[in-house]
Amino acid sequence: MMRNRARCPSGECSPASPPRGRLLAGNGYATTFLGALFVALAALLPARSADAVPSYARQTGLACEACHTAFPELTPYGRRFKLNGYTIDNLPQVSGISPTKQETLLLNQLPPLSFMFQTSYTGTKTALPDSVLPKSFAKNGQVLFPQQASLFYAGRIAPNLGAFVQMTYDGTDGEFGWDNTDIRFAKAINENLLLGLSLNNNPTVQDPWNSTPAWQVPFDQRSSVAPTPGAATMIDGGLVGAGVAGLTAYAYLYDSVYAELGGYRSAPAAAQIDSTSTNVVNGVAPYWRIAYEHQWGRHSWEIGAYGVVAKLYPGGGIALSGPANKYSDWALDSQYQYIGDDHIMSVTATYIDEKQSLDATYGAGASTNASDRLKTFRIGASYLYQRRYGAALGYFETTGSSDALLYPAGVPVVGFADGSPNSSGWTGELDWLPYENTKLALQYTKYSKFNGGSSNYDGSGRNASDNDTTYLLFWFNY
Amino acid sequence: MGWTTGPTTMKRLIAIATAVLLVVATRDVPAQQAEHGVPELATGVCSACHGPQGHSISPVFPNLAGQQAGYIVLQLNAFRAHERGDPNARAYMWGMASQLSDATIKSLADYYAAQKPAPGESGDRALIAEGAKIYNQGVEANGVPACAACHGSDAQGKGAFPRLGGQHAEYLIAQLEGFQSGTRANAPIMDNVAHSMTHEQIRAAAAYAASR
Repeated sequence: MMRNRARCPSGECSPASPPRGRLLAGNGYATTFLGALFVALAALLPARSADAVPSYARQTGLACEACHTAFPELTPYGRRFKLNGYTIDNLPQVSGISPTKQETLLLNQLPPLSFMFQTSYTGTKTALPDSVLPKSFAKNGQVLFPQQASLFYAGRIAPNLGAFVQMTYDGTDGEFGWDNTDIRFAKAINENLLLGLSLNNNPTVQDPWNSTPAWQVPFDQRSSVAPTPGAATMIDGGLVGAGVAGLTAYAYLYDSVYAELGGYRSAPAAAQIDSTSTNVVNGVAPYWRIAYEHQWGRHSWEIGAYGVVAKLYPGGGIALSGPANKYSDWALDSQYQYIGDDHIMSVTATYIDEKQSLDATYGAGASTNASDRLKTFRIGASYLYQRRYGAALGYFETTGSSDALLYPAGVPVVGFADGSPNSSGWTGELDWLPYENTKLALQYTKYSKFNGGSSNYDGSGRNASDNDTTYLLFWFNY
Repeated sequence: MGWTTGPTTMKRLIAIATAVLLVVATRDVPAQQAEHGVPELATGVCSACHGPQGHSISPVFPNLAGQQAGYIVLQLNAFRAHERGDPNARAYMWGMASQLSDATIKSLADYYAAQKPAPGESGDRALIAEGAKIYNQGVEANGVPACAACHGSDAQGKGAFPRLGGQHAEYLIAQLEGFQSGTRANAPIMDNVAHSMTHEQIRAAAAYAASR
């Protein structure tokens, strides 16, 4: 999943939002160039983090395998634990009651804390040119120690209230910051109906399936220093990059039907919202989600849809008033799991379709078209043997309207060919989990198309395949 | 600018969401009333694996509906004391049972014992027929006693002897294999029985018992 600051230091994740440089076009070419470069660089840093927390194991007394196939992918039971508000608890408690015997406190005697440490190696097929900018490109063969180190508070807060709160030191930018947060209230009305509320900072971080963007597996972890495609939809990293906070309400019926509705407002980290902010939500961006899960024997299959409608002021130097851009995202997702004693199989897929009405950006002369379209499709399959040895393969593709101003050419590595946001490729991974809470992953990503082209896509002679990435990750949770 | 209208929109959204939740919640009131007296643990926790009313979907987790109360009490005590240590018992039940009081164990056992058992599992007819012989007569050559002697003529169980009827065959096989390998070592009688059985006999007996 993407961290706000790491992925988008400028607060501007999707190049589908107006590049800052273009909005400041009056300041000359250099500003435009640097602005576009900065925006594109921002989109290059998809630091992802993890939902696999030993403090849940400590709190429940359940082994990791109860909730995860291989972390962070959830099992059917893990999904129920999450939907129940992270509250299932088997620890000695500090408790309080009122004279009328109402519970006023129920607190673990030990705090549900966990630590995560990731260290990684990244190599791209062809070394990246020196960017001259700090915190941007990596020289080839970059080791991050740590890539990320996180402290979690993950567990019950009160009888029906639980939390997943992550603070992360990011090795890419060398700073400690706020990461995924999901604080939820849940109540089982009876065995067939569960109701809940979630306060969170990333649309889909609250979702129990691993087919939606925040926790999509496989390849939930990728290099945070290798180039990655520049165009992404709002639901797929754009909003979390801009910084949002949301409240959603959900119902889970008959252990199979899930419905959720809520809204997100802008809440960028360490920033006051004014015209220097970027992609500021106008009012509330409604988020919706519906899913159906069928379980039979050791199999489960989910199919669902989700979406968000976000009216965003591009900001970045222009007042937060007047016309706004409107991004309408709807998406389909599906997840299949087979969980045997020795063999575990998963397939996840999502298709996202975003309609962009760029009233503000087009009005400011920063997009070629008044409206654009951006679509993303991802599918991945993974196999795990005895919860110890794993392999995964997946395909990804983003396509959309060509827009020469939105997807500018002429920037080494991050520029676009013909104003096209199209990218596609394959990722493969081998995993070894010596213990349930440790993972060693070797991943290779092969691009057939990158930012609109296969060869010389950036106009500086770089081919899509030059960005093919070898990534080695050591990941410890304790 | 729209920014100032935000809170109103948010309020509307919350109001709509609350209304939706209330409508959904009130629709289920009869079911809720019917379950009055159900231990909250069964509804909120156990059902995540063992299913509503103890009818589980995955064969990893046993059906508890109609299980003998005495057997449930014995097993929960064994989990709590770490005396039953097969892989899934460790992974799930050691934690789950660790804080249960004797009274809670008793109420959970009574609740599940009172639920309607799952119907018998269908399976390979030839295998079930072979299993019927083992279940009712044992295997004299191997010294395997008749299952029916303890588990009842219809696999309904009695007291400390569990109901096997309507159980997942795969779960029963895993238990017999656990007794054989020693990972589940909290039933000395079954240790002896399982050690005398071949894999084929285990499959057949489990298929028959599950079909009852």
